[in-house]
Amino acid sequence: MAKSILRQEWLGLAVIAVLGFVVMATLRPSFLTPFNLFVLMSTFALATLIALGQMVTLAVGQLNLSLGSVGGLVAVSFAGLMDVWHWSAAPSLMAGLALGALAGALNGILIAQFELSAFIVTLATLAMFKGLNLALTKAQPFYHIDRIVSAFGNASIGGPIPAVLIPTVMATAVVAFIFYRLPIGRQILAVGGNSSASELSGISNKRAVITAHVMSGALAGLAGMVAVARLQLGQPTIGEDWLISSFAAPVIGGVALTGGHVSIVGTLLAVVIVALITQGLVLFAVDPFYVQLVLGGLILVAVGLNSLRSLLPIGYSSL
Amino acid sequence: MTLALELQGIVKSFPGVIALNGVSLAVERGSIHALIGENGAGKSTLIKIITGVHRANEGTIKVDDRIVHFVNPRAASREGIGVVHQERNLIPRFSIAENIVLDRIAAKTFAPINYREINRLGEQWLRRLELDLDVRRPVSSLTAAQAQMVEIARALSLQSKVLVLDEPTASLTSHEAEALFRVLRQLRDQGVAILLVSHKLEEIESLCDCVTVLRDGRNATSSGPLAGYDRAALVRAMVGRDFALEQAARIGFTSTASNSVPALELDGVSTSLGHRDISLSVARGEIVGLYGLVGAGRTELAKSIIGLHPIVSGELRVHGRAVRIGDVNSAVHRYSLGYVSEDRKAEGVILMHSVLANAGITIWARLRGALRLLSDSRILSNVDPLLRRLDVKAASRHAAVRNLSGGNQQKVSIAKWLAAGVEILIIDEPSVGIDIRTKAYLHQLIMNLADQGTAILLISSDLPEMVALADRILLMKDFRLVSEIANDKDYTKISADIMSRIQAVAFD
Amino acid sequence: MAVGRSSRSQPNEEASTALGLLLLIVIAFAVFSWTATGFASPYNLYTLTRTAGLNVLLGLAMMVVIATGGLDLSVGATGVASAMFAGYLMQDFRFQMVIAIVAALCFGGALGFCNGFVVVFARVHSFIVTLASMSIIFGAMIVLTKAESVRDLPASFLALGKIRWFGYLSPMLIVSVAIGALIAIMLRWTDLGREILASGASSRAATLSGVRVGSRIITVHALSGMLAAAAGVMLSIRNGAMVPSMAGNLGQEWLLPAFLAPVLGGTLLSGGRAWVLTTVLAALLVTELTSGMLLMAIGEFWVQFALGSVLLLAVLLEKGRSTLMGTGEGI
Repeated sequence: MAKSILRQEWLGLAVIAVLGFVVMATLRPSFLTPFNLFVLMSTFALATLIALGQMVTLAVGQLNLSLGSVGGLVAVSFAGLMDVWHWSAAPSLMAGLALGALAGALNGILIAQFELSAFIVTLATLAMFKGLNLALTKAQPFYHIDRIVSAFGNASIGGPIPAVLIPTVMATAVVAFIFYRLPIGRQILAVGGNSSASELSGISNKRAVITAHVMSGALAGLAGMVAVARLQLGQPTIGEDWLISSFAAPVIGGVALTGGHVSIVGTLLAVVIVALITQGLVLFAVDPFYVQLVLGGLILVAVGLNSLRSLLPIGYSSL
Repeated sequence: MTLALELQGIVKSFPGVIALNGVSLAVERGSIHALIGENGAGKSTLIKIITGVHRANEGTIKVDDRIVHFVNPRAASREGIGVVHQERNLIPRFSIAENIVLDRIAAKTFAPINYREINRLGEQWLRRLELDLDVRRPVSSLTAAQAQMVEIARALSLQSKVLVLDEPTASLTSHEAEALFRVLRQLRDQGVAILLVSHKLEEIESLCDCVTVLRDGRNATSSGPLAGYDRAALVRAMVGRDFALEQAARIGFTSTASNSVPALELDGVSTSLGHRDISLSVARGEIVGLYGLVGAGRTELAKSIIGLHPIVSGELRVHGRAVRIGDVNSAVHRYSLGYVSEDRKAEGVILMHSVLANAGITIWARLRGALRLLSDSRILSNVDPLLRRLDVKAASRHAAVRNLSGGNQQKVSIAKWLAAGVEILIIDEPSVGIDIRTKAYLHQLIMNLADQGTAILLISSDLPEMVALADRILLMKDFRLVSEIANDKDYTKISADIMSRIQAVAFD
Repeated sequence: MAVGRSSRSQPNEEASTALGLLLLIVIAFAVFSWTATGFASPYNLYTLTRTAGLNVLLGLAMMVVIATGGLDLSVGATGVASAMFAGYLMQDFRFQMVIAIVAALCFGGALGFCNGFVVVFARVHSFIVTLASMSIIFGAMIVLTKAESVRDLPASFLALGKIRWFGYLSPMLIVSVAIGALIAIMLRWTDLGREILASGASSRAATLSGVRVGSRIITVHALSGMLAAAAGVMLSIRNGAMVPSMAGNLGQEWLLPAFLAPVLGGTLLSGGRAWVLTTVLAALLVTELTSGMLLMAIGEFWVQFALGSVLLLAVLLEKGRSTLMGTGEGI
């Protein structure tokens, strides 16, 4: 793929991110304290997983409203296994990933096998997973999580770099590898880009859709468990506020809502920008609820720019 | 003689219509074979059977003398049938190379992709087509002609023995078409059998070796060398006897004082879609034909006139008054202008709604009472006489239009304009996919409308239809009007005239 | 001739869906009366009809947008913001109750208008537009209200919440059903409603027939905003206060009931078909199931699980029905 095109896509976002960073650092020296950077990067770690979880469903031309609900269910299951059944961290982590993937598989199978609307299916499973979550926890947190997990949530791996970045970096690398190097990832993008062409070339559209949802569920689960590590407890409300930000970052990052194209770098930069804005509001002592206003506004601007761009004819695909 | 592809006695019926009735086709290895016929003759159904989209009810398909059964498009491509459809089947954001070898990507799941290998393969196939493009470019950045070449490369990469091309030059410039033909001749010389569906007789004559003509779902000619036919013979085979039926038609339109001011007039109109300097006029009671090849810009002109796309310069006059039509609503309700779409199912009717809702949609606003209230019976009393006159066959006026035959759907699509009582009607390809009887009926209807004073602009690719109905025929090419022909209803003369004029422009 | 493979006209399908829902309502009533203590008590019926009033309005708010093939995620945010607006007018500016309520309805309508305007002119699907506006509206509401409730309300307003007819009936349900009747009349007996359905069934065909599809889309979004505002006011009357969190974070908690009623009622998500009667009945059924399960003390959390399952079941049934009838109408 031509480097120039890639660059065009996220260059603007990179400039905004760098500018934001410089502005914050000059206006508020406290921004560059190790503690603040640590918090910023921890936020980034979690938000990236959430954004990637939505990005993979957008890639196949669908969406996942149940992302936060899956994240919450996996979070409390992960913490519950350690608290109630005294499992250690590693098997709990594996079980959590499996549960997230399973929840995603349920979404994917219902959508692909029965040809139902992704919106309605994931709205329904959103309620179901949330119900399961609350039934399991009786709306009370699980406090006694494995010490390794709580230590991990607070640990740094050198200076202000938090340990929770490790799962994020690994997950991002895996997602990038799948989308840019593995046939299944290309198949997901092909289905999102032109489902009849992909079918004609022998791609199983159903399998691609289900795989995308499995990835989404696993990423949501991982995000839920990272949230447990950061909060130091299995809070049942984890995931409740993921909906807007999960769409905001990919949409701002240039992921096509119609499917067929992902931009991992763009999504990461968008997460950085959103995190900087949130931090900025805190540092300037502005009501943090302005974040929601800004997020909503950014989504509108991003889709508005996209629809403007699509009006300019480039190749045959825009006709 | 070695046959790459042979079809015998193919029958295909859909609910209510027999699309193909015992069609045979034989395509020799190393030849370019033209499949021609009018709209509705059964070409596209036959192509869909050859490429595994539809399954035939009866008949056999042989590839290399072996009987094959295509359960789906994949099965056809495995047997060596490669196809390039009229619409593009590419993944827009993927590179050229990846699109060419998409089947390989489909075949694996977890084995990492070797892009160097993929680019090498892609380049190899592009080179065979003598195309000099960076295979890493995304196909969304290509022109229509280049994208089509990528699809041909993909079909070849599947070791296709038979390459099916459906109207390949529809969206190409004449220069691009020439380049395509060079490639096709080369492939023929390498032993590939090529089946080409086309409307354009001139390109068939210059390119093809053999021909099969379809008419009304049957063979009008069996497969044979093209050398045996001149153009007139081909046209005769395509058109057959039906034309004689239609010719009984219309008494010529005469200009009188009452229609001296044109109902619709375009003066030097350019549109945002690329039409340049279009001038035409349609008088009350006149049928003006707009003929051209697919992609000439006729439908686009119609949609610009009714306000769907902006007119950027020039003047549009309705009954002599210069107007600016901002949207279809004002075209219908202010200027009494209607448009019967060529795309009946997507634009002409609302399939899931009732006959009544479809036929009355243009008069709801007019019939509504206080508080915008409007009852079914009120609409019914207005449209029922029309539906009766048009002899629309439906289980009830409340039946969904989806359940009607194509001909009855088309009648409903026209009925709404009769209900609205439009003074100017643009009719786009009125008889595509419609049985002969309804077609004759629709022609009668269009003539009656004109006789009653409606100004009609008729768009059709069906030459006999055009000659039977129109008083004057305008030729359009590349979004410009190139010529005007007074129609004296002598089909042989007029059709030859039109063909020569379009060709003349093509070689400008 | 391929005439009349299915001669069933739309009113028949609506009637059979309505009968089915009615039957389920009766069966559920019988079952719950028997199994859940106090289900048929006048007080429970009163609270049930009160909640049903709210659910009917939410279902209608979503239904009118779905009729054009769109959706509105911002119903919760709009409803709460409009109710807060009415609350402030009454508390801080001493507006009369009726004027404040009318102002709130207009406010909701204006928010919906903005949604529709962006959908039409930016040519973006209503999903992403209303996702963004739900965040903007709710965020602005919280910032402006500082997340504080409005409780200093006129007595006449608070009194509305206490009206009880025949001991078991809340007038809220009657109000909602009356609004539903008006919408039904609009959809079936006015050119406006017919154009809305035509726009949803095929926006291209409707446009080419002279329907101003864009302005119809704006109309339904504005109507949806007004209905959401009415729901917000109704919930405030029930609570005796305007509480910013009464529809959950971002108003998300209203989404499930808002989609349940129309989907269960046979409204096609792709647009072009919307039935008011069945949407109202479906809202009643959902309220009844919720109330019954809560009384059976199976746990509030399982109720949410059950409602999610009901939504899935509804789309699966609709899918099966359209496949059987061969109409190919996707949901």
